[in-house]
Amino acid sequence: MTSIAADPAVALRAEGPSTAWKAWVGVLGAALGLGAFCFAYQWANGLGVTGLSNTVTWGMYIISFMFLVGASAGGLIVVAGSELVDSERFASLNRLAVLVSGAAILTATGTILPDLGRPQMAWKMIAHPHWTSPLMWDMVVILVYLSIAAVDLWILTRPTVSGSALRRMAVITLPVAILVHSVTAWIFGLLVARPFWNTALLAPMFITSALVSGTALVVVIAHVVERTTGIRFGDEHTLGDLGKLIVWFIAVDAFLLGTEILTIYASRVPDHLDQLNVILWGRLAPVFWAEVALGVVVPFLILVRPALRARRAWLLTACSLAIVGVFFKRVNILLSSMFEPLVGLAPGIPGGRPGQAFRPDEIYIPTWVEWGILIGMAGFFFTVVTIGVRRIVLDRTADAAAPDPVPAGGA
Amino acid sequence: MPDTEVRTEAATGVPTDRSGSRATKRSPVDALPPASRRYGEIGDRSTKPRWGMAVDIERCVGCWSCAVICKSENDVPLGMWWNRILTRGDDLDRPGEGEHGHLEMEWVPLACQHCDDAPCEKVCPTGATYIDKERLVLVNQDDCIGCRYCMAACPYGVRVFNWGKPKYPVDGGTGMVGARPVGTVEKCTMCVHRIAEDQVPSCVWSCPANARVFGDLDDPDGRLVNLLRSRGATRLLEDKGTRPKVWYLQPRRRRPL
Repeated sequence: MTSIAADPAVALRAEGPSTAWKAWVGVLGAALGLGAFCFAYQWANGLGVTGLSNTVTWGMYIISFMFLVGASAGGLIVVAGSELVDSERFASLNRLAVLVSGAAILTATGTILPDLGRPQMAWKMIAHPHWTSPLMWDMVVILVYLSIAAVDLWILTRPTVSGSALRRMAVITLPVAILVHSVTAWIFGLLVARPFWNTALLAPMFITSALVSGTALVVVIAHVVERTTGIRFGDEHTLGDLGKLIVWFIAVDAFLLGTEILTIYASRVPDHLDQLNVILWGRLAPVFWAEVALGVVVPFLILVRPALRARRAWLLTACSLAIVGVFFKRVNILLSSMFEPLVGLAPGIPGGRPGQAFRPDEIYIPTWVEWGILIGMAGFFFTVVTIGVRRIVLDRTADAAAPDPVPAGGA
Repeated sequence: MPDTEVRTEAATGVPTDRSGSRATKRSPVDALPPASRRYGEIGDRSTKPRWGMAVDIERCVGCWSCAVICKSENDVPLGMWWNRILTRGDDLDRPGEGEHGHLEMEWVPLACQHCDDAPCEKVCPTGATYIDKERLVLVNQDDCIGCRYCMAACPYGVRVFNWGKPKYPVDGGTGMVGARPVGTVEKCTMCVHRIAEDQVPSCVWSCPANARVFGDLDDPDGRLVNLLRSRGATRLLEDKGTRPKVWYLQPRRRRPL
């Protein structure tokens, strides 16, 4: 066992828990505890403890759901896509990307539960499925997708990874990953009641945003894994190359958003225009322009320059901003349609709680319960990623990436 | 009509059944004086009725009687309305400026439109929202998981959600229909429990201006169909293709105020 120090996975375990590690576990535990408490509190008291109302019926939970399904699909599309074209460029990131995707889709499913008025009745979706509902399609495609991620992980963690098996899986993975986010988009895009969602561009827009956030998330997590464990994914260009891909994704994403806005703005259909104006100049304008500046312009300008994206600090800044930008985009898409009901005559839609007869100028402010549950969900996501990185990514990547013949299976 | 028993609030003590089945005790309609019963009778219908309603904008005076009686008939908790009166104008009680600078004001009573092509029914993942044999859009609270997809899908914004433990102006409510569990969606049922007793919905019965007419849209000689034909009725958000069964009779004349 002379080579023990050369195997970072072994080195990490041999060192015993460091202070940083203990702090990280503490943070995760606290987040999970807070989330569990808030969920229990909400379950006991009803959804009235959230900032939601009969006008804004969906809020942070559904926004997070959209975001997480996207982040999940995006990473997997890049990996499966590069496998399909026989590119070895991102092969070192395969396991991590599949792991992040799996964790994100698990968490996304988790964010649906607190959104339900009666989570204890969720089994009715299986007992009484109603197949005209896009929600049912989404449930099925998410289950298929989860299974595929599991099979992918299984293949990737075999002692000898078969390239042909991976490629065959990629043939299935790529369409399902695209489909999982398209169906999520169709949950919204097929509603006549919400003109701003009701566009054929919604699914393509969801996919491009997913590619931005999913790839950026893989970059950020890969960096953290590299820094904390000492292993390396590919060579020094690998993450920067992902950054180069993000440039394209951001450009296409911005193009789709631009064409959507132009179509609404120039054709001036009243319902559409009202909902668009909410994000352009109305109550959501700060979030929208932040989305454009932080999520599109700045990351694009950074990543488009090879010298900048080669530097970790710039790459991480750009990727983090892009992730935030995509999250803001989900906020805007969801809330702009909620803020402007089609029948908007006075006095408005009933508030729903005693003392709130009507609220024509509905505004949505998430409460501490919603934030607590979201923190819990983030905790869940990072717990899955952390366990996965230690159990799956470290061992194998170390074997594959080690240039010198290190005895495999040091653990 | 499917057997859809609704959980009864223990406090009300009145066993109720949303389908209006006679299996329950004395129905609240039975308690009405005979004259009231006769006044509320539905009357003519085809063999397979398709219930609908006309709301005469010309007659509506915006008094909210129908909205208030709906709350007591259906035990709608505080903060929620199944039926409300919108004002086409500036505000609740201020007239708006119409064309040519004339002041304009009219009321649009709004409840579930009982669409023939109901978006809420299509998107419900469990089928809790369903369309019954007489084409009413109803919610089976037992199957509702509270995802609120129907609320996102409804173009009219007429569905309300039970955000927490319901509060009533009278302890326990009026007990005419069953209480709805926390975490489920509810809305106008066109007083399906009254229809089962051959009575028109409460809002129709109570309107002091006779602005509402209830009847069978498939009865070509019925009063409702004749009225719709002669008055040139319109429906809300016609372009959304939802085909509501609530029709609005537009004012035949507009007098400048």
